[in-house]
Amino acid sequence: MTSLAQLFFDAAALGGIYAMAALGIALIFGVMNLVNFAHGEYIAFCVFALIVPSTDAAAVMFLGKAPALLLIPLILTIGALVAMASEYVVFRHMRKASPVAMMISSFALGFIIQNALLAVYGGRPKAISLWPELNTPIDIAGASVPLLQLIVILTTLAVVTGLAALLRKTRIGLEMRAAAENFTMARLLGVRANVVITGAFALSGALAAAVALIMVTQTGVADVRMGGHIMLVAFIATVIGGLGSLPGAVAAGFLIGAASVLLQAFLPLDARPFRDAFLYTLVIVSLLVRPQGLFVPNSAKPRV
Amino acid sequence: MMNKHARTRLLAYSTPLILSAILLALVVAVTLFGDKALARMAAETLIRVVLVVGLWIFAGNSGVISFGHAGYMAIGAYCSAWLTLKPQMKALFLPDLPAWLAGAEWPMLPAALASGGLAALVALLSGAAILRLTGIAASIASFAFLAIVNTVYSNWEGVTGATSSVVGLERYVDQWVALAWAVAAIVVANVYANSGSGLALRATREDEIAARASGIDMYRHRLLSLVISGFFTGVSGALLGHYIGVLNPDNFYLGITFISLAMLVVGGIGSLSGAVTGVLALSILIELLVRGEQGVGIGAATFALPGGTQEIAIGVVMILVLILRPSGLTGGREFRLARPAWPKPAPRNQIKTN
Amino acid sequence: MSKLGVFDLSVRYGKVPALNDVSLTVSEGERVFISGPNGAGKSSLLGAICGSVATSHGRIEMDGALLTGRTPESIARLGLSMVPEGRDIFGSLTVQENLCVGTGLRRDLDAVQSDIEEIYEAFPILGDRRHASAGALSGGQQQMLAIGRALMTNPKLMMVDEPSLGLAPKVVDQVYDTLIGLQEERGLTLLIVEQSSLRAARVGGRMILMRGGAVVGGGDAADFADREALTEAYFGKPETEAAQ
Repeated sequence: MTSLAQLFFDAAALGGIYAMAALGIALIFGVMNLVNFAHGEYIAFCVFALIVPSTDAAAVMFLGKAPALLLIPLILTIGALVAMASEYVVFRHMRKASPVAMMISSFALGFIIQNALLAVYGGRPKAISLWPELNTPIDIAGASVPLLQLIVILTTLAVVTGLAALLRKTRIGLEMRAAAENFTMARLLGVRANVVITGAFALSGALAAAVALIMVTQTGVADVRMGGHIMLVAFIATVIGGLGSLPGAVAAGFLIGAASVLLQAFLPLDARPFRDAFLYTLVIVSLLVRPQGLFVPNSAKPRV
Repeated sequence: MMNKHARTRLLAYSTPLILSAILLALVVAVTLFGDKALARMAAETLIRVVLVVGLWIFAGNSGVISFGHAGYMAIGAYCSAWLTLKPQMKALFLPDLPAWLAGAEWPMLPAALASGGLAALVALLSGAAILRLTGIAASIASFAFLAIVNTVYSNWEGVTGATSSVVGLERYVDQWVALAWAVAAIVVANVYANSGSGLALRATREDEIAARASGIDMYRHRLLSLVISGFFTGVSGALLGHYIGVLNPDNFYLGITFISLAMLVVGGIGSLSGAVTGVLALSILIELLVRGEQGVGIGAATFALPGGTQEIAIGVVMILVLILRPSGLTGGREFRLARPAWPKPAPRNQIKTN
Repeated sequence: MSKLGVFDLSVRYGKVPALNDVSLTVSEGERVFISGPNGAGKSSLLGAICGSVATSHGRIEMDGALLTGRTPESIARLGLSMVPEGRDIFGSLTVQENLCVGTGLRRDLDAVQSDIEEIYEAFPILGDRRHASAGALSGGQQQMLAIGRALMTNPKLMMVDEPSLGLAPKVVDQVYDTLIGLQEERGLTLLIVEQSSLRAARVGGRMILMRGGAVVGGGDAADFADREALTEAYFGKPETEAAQ
């Protein structure tokens, strides 16, 4: 039975994941105009870091065996490191390149990471059981909600407020916001480009890692392709939210999550397999109505 | 002055001649001296030429990167399957096709043309929406379009066979058929690029705002180029289907998008010669990697090669080219009989943006 | 002693030259105006000095340290600050946050707060609106904020590109009064692009005239108040202007 409360929790949990992924994309776009197609592969990388490298069908826990208190910071650090490394190896050498050239090379980088994972872990999805006890349902307001959904919603809120505090209250946050608006001017005031960009990649990678942990707990599967769909949704959320706008990305992430859950609930049974097609069509329509994004004032000039 | 202008235009038309001659020489050499595997590799390469030149007609002239072209390819490929498969097979595997399609048994060439036509129609409809956006937003919307096509074709059980492959396509595409289409694509691409619309579109590529201010209707020219582009991309899908003989929606998703963009970028997105050069360069690289990996000379059966070494190597090559030579191997120049004495425009990718 | 030295500097955008073998020096504590028609290369010169425009030839030194080849942030860290044309205020940040962006390079962090207060004293309107979004300020207020923001890096040399652009004459007076006051108080060296030679003459200082990407003249700013000297400098020889 899908009650209203159930729908609400489904939408908030899915939207929370989308919002976190969108934040990861928007942070980097804001600072250096890069649409990072490798972001989905950061997520996949973090998922596979949990298990022993092997092409066997059964997954054996590796890092995943660590207790949560250790595992969570560990995986967040791995995500941050992967993202920072990709900046250091690829994007640092493209500072003067056009956004299109950077976008294509991030696409290439994503493919490299994905195929490296394929080579090491094989192509078949693997079952992993990370914190299975979190999927036990509890009753709230007449809805049976898996504990994990609550945790996802709370985590999203914590991450979003934490990030907002970081951006508002810290030196690096101030520099990131200044750089996001006008990088050259920020540098003329002594803001170090490398520090800001590396910081943005580290945050973005950590967000990818958070998404990875949630997805793997929720689905119980490790799949090389699992980052692709969520990355596409995250891109769309950043465009709908107004490219480069962090609050916009979060709001759009929740909106897409809600639309997705509503479509799933109310589309006729025959049309449900096509849910994503309807979702993306809605997205294109919304972009036609407001090309600059849903959550930016009409007066704001488009960033691209 | 007029004379010089006419001469430069004439020289511009030498580009397709040179490119076609290179491809013809390749096919003749492979047919005379190569084995069957090499001939198949040549056919596959030429299908990629149709695809990448098709993609170039839009992306190269407009400067907007499209992630949606694999979608037009899928549309062309399945359309040709609907039109040419034996009715008994369609009744068995694709039971929900409308009666007129279920009974259709078209010859190959009209089917290929119709496939391109359907892809062009879809390009017109999708482009009418997507091209209202500009720059990166348009690229991401084209990605959403690809996801829509993939979702629909992966789930429309009775019409596309969904994720179970459609089999039994007549494998009529050899190196000669592919060559004919490659030459056609190159000629049309060149004619379009040198037409009023193509020149106007390339002006918008160099400077969108200035071109708009001088009264260029960017939207209309982008849409026109996307329709032509969609046609050849659709045809390339049909050709690929009739080359492999099997269709699966995932053949037309991120893998082929990646390869085709890689070829365009490595060769140089600024010129038609760059598109063709990129296909040849990366096809040779892929072939070498495949042979190196397998140790025997068997042509790869699909674009999505097994393993991962090839993709990793191609990705590395792509990134290196983007870093070291951002305007590609050809540097955005065309192959011509003689280079006209005008100053080379600054390569677009080197303009500082931050 | 010479604070800033520019030697045989050339800048080109693609194949279009913007500066051709420009040389000039600025002494410690000096106030220098650069004037010239559009496309003379004034902004390119400032851009090259602060590191935001790539140079194709030549050398720039400040206090004996080579600036050419450095990143904008490392030049800023040597004590050079820039108020760009169009001001480039961070509109989504508050007034106070704008002032703080440039303090990251400072060691004397305890002096930052008192410096902010000093800026608010010089421009009271900024103090009143310290927590307002900077994008909501008027043009004149944004100019003041841009100057204040540049001062917050505690520079030794400050460059200002067209401070009077788009401002009412009264506001320009105020901006210049403050600039000169600050210069006298802090011993700043000032390099100012100013289209109006009349204004430069009134404020006083040394004048450098540029045209077609080259230095074509100079002297005491007061000498360029009359039209003739200027006309000759601007339109002297019939020669094609280099486009910027």
